[in-house]
Amino acid sequence: MKRRYLACFVALLTCLACLITSCSSRNRMPGYICYRLGTNPTTLDPALIVDVTGGSISAKLFNGLVKIGDDLSVQPDIAKKWSVSKNGLLYTFTLKQGVYFSNKREVKADDFKYSFKRILHPKSRSPNIWIFDKVLGADDFKKGMDEDIEGIKVIDDYTLEIRLERPFSPFLSLLTMTAAYVIPEEEAEKWGPDFSGHPVGTGPFILKEWLPGREIKLERRDDYFGGKARVEGIIYRIIPEDLTAVTEFELGNIDLLTIPATEYSRYRNDPRKADIISSIKGLNTYYLGLNCSKHPFKNAAFRKAVSLAIDREKILNTIYERRGRLAAGPVPDVLRKWDMPRLYEYNPRTARQIIREEGLEGLTLRFYVTADQEVVDIAEVIQSYIRAAGIDVVIKQLEWSAYKEAVNRGEPDMFYLSWWADYPDPENFLYPLFHSSNHGSAGNRTRYANPAVDSLIEQGRHTLDEKTRNALYRSAEEIIVADAPWVFLWHRTDFTIRQPRVKNYKIYPIYSMDKGTEISF
Amino acid sequence: MLTFTLTKALPGDPVLSMVGERAQPEVVEKIRREIGADKNVTEQYLGYVGLLLKGEFGRSYYTNRKVFDDLVAKFPNTFKLALGAMAIALPVGLFFGFISAIRKDTLTDRIISTVSVTGLSVPVFWSGLLIMYLFSLQLKLLPPSGTGDIRFLILPALTLSLPALATLSRITRTAILEVCGMPFITTARAKGISESKIRFIHMLKNALIPVVTVIGLDFASYLNGAVLTETIFGWDGIGRFTMEGIIKRDYPVIMGCVISGTVIFVLINLLVDIIYHYLDPRIRIR
Repeated sequence: MKRRYLACFVALLTCLACLITSCSSRNRMPGYICYRLGTNPTTLDPALIVDVTGGSISAKLFNGLVKIGDDLSVQPDIAKKWSVSKNGLLYTFTLKQGVYFSNKREVKADDFKYSFKRILHPKSRSPNIWIFDKVLGADDFKKGMDEDIEGIKVIDDYTLEIRLERPFSPFLSLLTMTAAYVIPEEEAEKWGPDFSGHPVGTGPFILKEWLPGREIKLERRDDYFGGKARVEGIIYRIIPEDLTAVTEFELGNIDLLTIPATEYSRYRNDPRKADIISSIKGLNTYYLGLNCSKHPFKNAAFRKAVSLAIDREKILNTIYERRGRLAAGPVPDVLRKWDMPRLYEYNPRTARQIIREEGLEGLTLRFYVTADQEVVDIAEVIQSYIRAAGIDVVIKQLEWSAYKEAVNRGEPDMFYLSWWADYPDPENFLYPLFHSSNHGSAGNRTRYANPAVDSLIEQGRHTLDEKTRNALYRSAEEIIVADAPWVFLWHRTDFTIRQPRVKNYKIYPIYSMDKGTEISF
Repeated sequence: MLTFTLTKALPGDPVLSMVGERAQPEVVEKIRREIGADKNVTEQYLGYVGLLLKGEFGRSYYTNRKVFDDLVAKFPNTFKLALGAMAIALPVGLFFGFISAIRKDTLTDRIISTVSVTGLSVPVFWSGLLIMYLFSLQLKLLPPSGTGDIRFLILPALTLSLPALATLSRITRTAILEVCGMPFITTARAKGISESKIRFIHMLKNALIPVVTVIGLDFASYLNGAVLTETIFGWDGIGRFTMEGIIKRDYPVIMGCVISGTVIFVLINLLVDIIYHYLDPRIRIR
């Protein structure tokens, strides 16, 4: 009997030994910078990327014709120069020579044509079609009525022409987006749907290893046309839990961390950390969406009353811990090149009065939010402000997927959302969010419709002169603010903290701007 | 079929998560057609069964990777974590339960009972963070997160083992106390067998049947993923994979995880039934 127990004990020890020896040890790689990701990127195929995580990694693997400069203007990337015809329809790009994919083949104009056609292809599953649907013939091509896109022409190996259907002022800005990155046809065709796992681009890094849900390792390319990166590589560690990421940072296992909301005041109030904290005014707008297609928010006076009933400044200064700037309208202050619209000051008396005058007292509103604790906290304060104005509010918490479906369908009376810039142009905060053709999933989730605003935004999109365009956008924004389809809350400021050993770190307002070549130890 | 229907009945549209914040309705419809989400549930179910018959779980809507490949990649991690948790819970739980039973109604018994009830009551997300704070941040003994060698395994395994350890301790105690009063124990004592032999061989072995049942159930549930533990410690296992699939309504991932989980559950239960036979020869395998 004793022997049997001994055998069991030995078996258990053997199991443990197997367990230990079957594992491989992992240590920090010298010269590699380590970032934290909260979620796994869904894809690294530029045609399919819609998430910030995927976008920020792909920016290090790929390049486009143009990129966003530090002053948020459009700068050359693979294109050496470009010209735009006087009527704003024809864009001619001259490519740099000697730009190579990581498979050692030189980039030619044909590659851009292939990459753009791939997104518009009838069989493509790309959600980014809207970036290229302005191109002449794009509509016929994506419907399968034409075999080629009339508006994209390869003149020679280093010259590409793109002709638009109508002038579109932010077109160059659109070309800075991840979906407009160039990829080599032979690799995309070879890997098919698995290209995401084997991305080949022109960027300063190549994908060395991707362990989904665990880690992504990028390795520096020494032949990058924009000058090789100062670090040997980048390691992205996927750590879903904020507190775990903070522990990893405190132990020095992560070099850079976006400060989670729960840790903000602790880091910010520590004078020893002042030199290693960076901040950037984010290109975003947080808002309380009011469903304009339904009673009672069909009534503009009631929408204004709700805007006046909420003390946004107090919420920003307390719950939000001053991690943002008060929003006067939908366009972020950083992008607005005209005077700020007049702010809705907190005025509960006027709010109550309007509600009484409109005979809307005693109503119950359905306020949809996600289950995120910070959002719930903010929603409860908003609820108390609106209740104080004589309107009852019922908060309904939904998990993100169900929330998004309900909001897109126009189910709630009110909802809490934010909009982040795809490209640094005011148009990105006006057309998708307030044009009546974009109700629902296209961006206009409040279902706001005003023909005057539609017309001004459309004119702005097709006007090439910047001054005139800004004047049109200004007028559109003023009308939108007056109509109050949103309660304009704030523009969030992002904060990051880095290890003291990290040098030349710069924080960018748009993820695609960071190519990872500057940062060093 | 039940899981398939229930999954489809959940509110939330996977396509809306795939297309981002700015997608034209025609693109949403096109992608819905591409992934077959425009068909009715019966057609979708038959399509999925057809896929299963070919030995495939399909591709994730989001990552476009084969679900089977991801499951194969993540299962060894989940297995390591489950084995690690059991390696802690089993000896400690049995030991505590045994001591608690033979020292019934003493201070030792009360202390162990209190610890066991605490272990059962404390939620994993709290004990996990506490363990991480102590062993990683304060003592700097072990890494707080990651998937890798035994250094990375200890903390999540310890966290995951706590409720199982407490359950095992309670079950073992109850089972041994039940066996204590059986006639064969009195007979053994009458035959002059030493007390230690009676305790370790006669009592413990006969008390193991309910214990093995609990071990089997816990082990099977760990092999289906421990969502909270895997999330806190950044452990790349089946639990997090399943959870992400559910959050994003990634139906191929959800179905792949449920089907593989069911197979694992059935196999573990079969193994438990076989073990019963060796513990109690009266149970026959036919």
